[in-house]
Amino acid sequence: MTRSVIDPITRIEGHLRAEMEVGSDGRVSEAWMCGCCFRGMELVVRNRKPEDASFIVQRICGVCPTSHGHSATIAAERSLGITIPNNARIIRNIIEGAETLHSHILWFYNLAALDYVDPLNGAYNADPATAHDVAEAYGLASTDFAALKDRLVKFAKNGQLSIFSGNWFKGNVSGSSYHRSVESEFVLPPEADLILTAHYLEALTFQAKSSEIAGIIGGKMPHPMTIIPGGTDFVPTMEKLDDLKGLVDEICAWVDKTILPDTLAVAKFYGAALTFGDSIDDFGAFGVFERPFDASTSYVDRMNNRYFPGGIFHMSTGKVDDVDESLITEYVGHSWYEGEEDLEPFAQGVRPAFTEYNVEDRYTWNKCPRYDKKPLEVGPLGRVLVAYGRGDADIKGYVDTVISELNKNLAEGLYDEFKDQIPLSNGKITVANLNSTLGRVAARNIETVHTAHLMQQWITELCEALASGDSTYFVEATTDNGYNGAGLWEAPRGALYHAEKIEGGLIKDYQIIIPTTWNIAPKDPEGVHGPMEQALVGVPVADVEKPINALRTVHSYDPCTACAVHVVEPKTGKSFETVTSPWGVK
Amino acid sequence: MAHLAHYNEAHPLPFKITHWINLVAMVVLIFTGFIIHYPFIPAIMGVCRGMHIFCGFVLFINCMARVILAFIVKSAPTNGTRVQVLDYKTWLPQPDNKHQGLAWIKYYLFLRKEMPLSAKLGVPQKISYLAIPLLIIIMFITGVALWIPTSGPFTGLCILVGGVMNMRIIHYFLMFVFIAFFMLHAYLASIEGSALIKVMFFGKETEGMHYDVERHNVIRTGEHE
Amino acid sequence: MDKEATASQLSEILEARGVSRRSFMKLCGTLAVMAGLGEAAAPRVAQAVESSVIGAASGNLYPVIWMEGASCTGCTESFAQIDAPDAASVVLELISLNYCETLSAAAGESMELARTQTIEQAAGNYILVYEGAVLKGWEGNAFRIAGEVGYEPLKETAANAAAVVALGSCAVNGGWCAAKQVYDPNGSDARAALPNNGAMGVQQFLTEEGIDVPVINIPGCPPNPEWLCAVLVNVLMLNAIPELTDEGKPAQIFSQTIHDNCERRGHFENGEFVYEFGSEEERKGYCLYAMGCKGPQTFSNCSVIRFNNRRSWCVASGAPCVGCTAASPMHPEQNWVDMHAPFFKRHRTINLFGMHIQPQTIALSIIGVEAVALVVHGFGMKAAGRTKGAPIEYMRDWDAKHPDKSIGAYSEEEVAAYKAAKEAKKGGNK
Repeated sequence: MTRSVIDPITRIEGHLRAEMEVGSDGRVSEAWMCGCCFRGMELVVRNRKPEDASFIVQRICGVCPTSHGHSATIAAERSLGITIPNNARIIRNIIEGAETLHSHILWFYNLAALDYVDPLNGAYNADPATAHDVAEAYGLASTDFAALKDRLVKFAKNGQLSIFSGNWFKGNVSGSSYHRSVESEFVLPPEADLILTAHYLEALTFQAKSSEIAGIIGGKMPHPMTIIPGGTDFVPTMEKLDDLKGLVDEICAWVDKTILPDTLAVAKFYGAALTFGDSIDDFGAFGVFERPFDASTSYVDRMNNRYFPGGIFHMSTGKVDDVDESLITEYVGHSWYEGEEDLEPFAQGVRPAFTEYNVEDRYTWNKCPRYDKKPLEVGPLGRVLVAYGRGDADIKGYVDTVISELNKNLAEGLYDEFKDQIPLSNGKITVANLNSTLGRVAARNIETVHTAHLMQQWITELCEALASGDSTYFVEATTDNGYNGAGLWEAPRGALYHAEKIEGGLIKDYQIIIPTTWNIAPKDPEGVHGPMEQALVGVPVADVEKPINALRTVHSYDPCTACAVHVVEPKTGKSFETVTSPWGVK
Repeated sequence: MAHLAHYNEAHPLPFKITHWINLVAMVVLIFTGFIIHYPFIPAIMGVCRGMHIFCGFVLFINCMARVILAFIVKSAPTNGTRVQVLDYKTWLPQPDNKHQGLAWIKYYLFLRKEMPLSAKLGVPQKISYLAIPLLIIIMFITGVALWIPTSGPFTGLCILVGGVMNMRIIHYFLMFVFIAFFMLHAYLASIEGSALIKVMFFGKETEGMHYDVERHNVIRTGEHE
Repeated sequence: MDKEATASQLSEILEARGVSRRSFMKLCGTLAVMAGLGEAAAPRVAQAVESSVIGAASGNLYPVIWMEGASCTGCTESFAQIDAPDAASVVLELISLNYCETLSAAAGESMELARTQTIEQAAGNYILVYEGAVLKGWEGNAFRIAGEVGYEPLKETAANAAAVVALGSCAVNGGWCAAKQVYDPNGSDARAALPNNGAMGVQQFLTEEGIDVPVINIPGCPPNPEWLCAVLVNVLMLNAIPELTDEGKPAQIFSQTIHDNCERRGHFENGEFVYEFGSEEERKGYCLYAMGCKGPQTFSNCSVIRFNNRRSWCVASGAPCVGCTAASPMHPEQNWVDMHAPFFKRHRTINLFGMHIQPQTIALSIIGVEAVALVVHGFGMKAAGRTKGAPIEYMRDWDAKHPDKSIGAYSEEEVAAYKAAKEAKKGGNK
């Protein structure tokens, strides 16, 4: 038995530590995730105005600020009795979609890809001509591969490794060639490495272009500035519409020819990622991208009706339940907060208190949210499964295509080496296999393509709305003395929950449950591990110092830990007086 | 009814002029200041900004001129006399006021019936009138710092007070000090009859009891008692 | 894209001459090798890769370590949106980004090795970019990295750097992490005075730790990526730290207000304002001053440099500036959130005794109280018959008590009258 630790985990948002027990079979037997940073956002927005809060809380995360902004404004709008105008709804969908595209493109190519792609192998060993043929054969986007080789080798020639420092690829240059050691767990052929490296660089451009859409609407991205309770203060002009349309079309065209084909290309060589990374049975989504609604629409209906609908998908039965806010609780017995009680997320007091890092006791700043007393996995996989379960035709089409491609690989014998480890049903790969490291990657990329096409649809919708003469973008609150309101929404990383209690126009209490909080949750009172901790169990670790498969699994969640850490009050209403020192322990 | 005579010697013309300028400049500054704070009449914003800056300079220069004049021009040390001394002396402690501060407070709180004997400016008056030039100087500096926050020394000044937002709040609050002073000043100047206003604004004298600056006492002839 | 287009045109021409596409691409590959990917360079790479996780310690690229404190990664995200040069060019051809939690390929122990090797091998010759606040709460455990207190690696890395760039408002003075944290929203809990997490800026932290290294503060939430790049280019190509303001911010960027160069300044001068979101005025792009825009007091060139490939910036999109670049390096309490909220009001809120009040509320209340007091006093004056002048006292009280030191000279009648009045008052009291 050995311990393997990854700290810091890179290519994620925020600070995360993974500690794993590796058994004699070379697989992880138990894992603990540590969210390493406490900032205390909920405390900062208290006694402030709801419209200020939506600006402040989005600063919780630089990758998905728009989602936090939207969730906060929805909470305020539900609290203040506002139904936003149709134009604002479409504009919010566009800016949210832009963020999703940005986040997913950046994630796949610039964050996760380096778990699978070895750029130097491509640079030294690929034949540009073959790379071109490979690209053509797989329907991947082509580019000037020779120039790219030139650029990369020039970079390598300089000798400084820049972002490739650390060498998890286990490759060495000798003479004019580059060889990876037999221990290397990178298996793409050089041409595929080269193609995906080309896409890595193009993706940097296209994630920026996606952000430009958010920038046009929000003023800047990250942290767009036009999302306010009541609608938006962005008013599209001709030029802005023209820019939006141009960018959306360009991104859509690029996404079409890269992201899913690349995923399927990777799947041919990394099919082993289907054998690990399976987490739990329940997958949730609160729904994102609003369809038209009015004041009489219940919030559950709103969630169910969204483009990516809300719901709780049970993998074992394939059934989808509606989301019930009241079933959400949080537990802090293994986190650096006072108390052991099961908590309700909407609360008064807050008592963060660091003790020590001890995986047997308290080991994270992250709390343990539970849905109906059970852990819940959220994220693109959750959204795709819920949409699939609810019978969304587009999603069904994408999912079925990916699964049939995987089955082709299976039939072609690409997965023979580890076929017995894939949980097949009747010898076939099915939707259930999406509950794996590779499945999560695929689900996120399916979502990217679908969102890109939805974006085009919303641009058209916005133009139609404008053509019809609708010029309302903002409505005033009907009351400024609200009640409790919760904004259930989705960040690119999964289900997002903001709740606020407004009194006399000021926020008296605020609660946030972030997707990653669900995913990297520590153990619950029954000792049941959170989704990511469970997904890590069974991951093969060949090298405890460079556990690449564990890193792949962690990355498949696209964790975002800065925002995952936050605070609540115990349901028991136990009050402050028990705090021995105002500064926590010691 | 007893009151002292109010003669023009108490407020020679140069001081009447600076007083008029003060009045006009302050009223304009306060009004335009409100517009700048929140443009509730948008169309006049540009004009108001220009006037605000202009009047700010006028008020400041006028204040300086008034201070200098105090050392050149003579004025009466008390009401009810035509004797004059250099004006600055009427701002400093005078024997006529000595030990009378408490009496004035008691008087205004209705704890005593008779008006205390006094120089031209009573104790509370002297304190508040001496504070006004100081206020004007602070207003001027904070105002210029807000006007050109990007120029050398004012950037440092803004940092000193913790940013331009704090500078604005200071400038804004001090305006209310002016308003508060203005209200009190106008009230006290007019509550006991119009003589003060008449002499200050129109140079119209009012007869009354005389004051003997040598004896530090009123001359009770019976005529105006 | 252009290259691709040209290449495909060329290939059409070649194909027309009987050269297959495949052999054309092969030709390109050979040319590329001949053009200088030669073998001479290869041994150096080999050596570098084998001996060190960061490769060569020096070369054409300037070593940079990019650390994250209590951050939202927004500054890195913002950096990824840089347009000229693009992010790939920066990390491949301008700087050697040896440690970056968001972009580095490696993770865990290897990353720590990359950081420590950079410190050893390029001491005094690398730039540390620090993003996010420094947290001192719970003796630094509010933020942990690599199994230790989060600010320990910062101390070590900053001490050996040529310069430290504090990137983003959080790194400059704690940003929103340093904003007032309210524990008891209905009372004035003593703990609300300071955030529990102990957030502060890098410059303050290094000063407190006695680490003497130049700090370049680039505030903003997020900072514009062009600002960082401009500073890097200045350091790399002009070989100098750019001129800094009193607050250690690049003077060329942070010496003018947003208002100075705002695209809506004309409307401000004309007195054309937006008073309501979604109004006709907003559609016309009028000035957002009345909506609480903090442009007139926010030092930054946002309006000139713009964001996201220069597509837009807050005011251009219709949002009043919230003044996110306001950050005084040594004063976490002067963070932009506390300085500028509520964002849609002209003034920030003043927090007094647990109350949150707009300045004019306080001012108007005082004036109102004064007005009422004067009116009441006025009626009192009238009732006392003083509105036509009160009788003047016969003698100063002090003079009566100290006849030897009397200021005024009084006639016998006056002394008698004073005494009579006193007696009458005493009698009346009985």
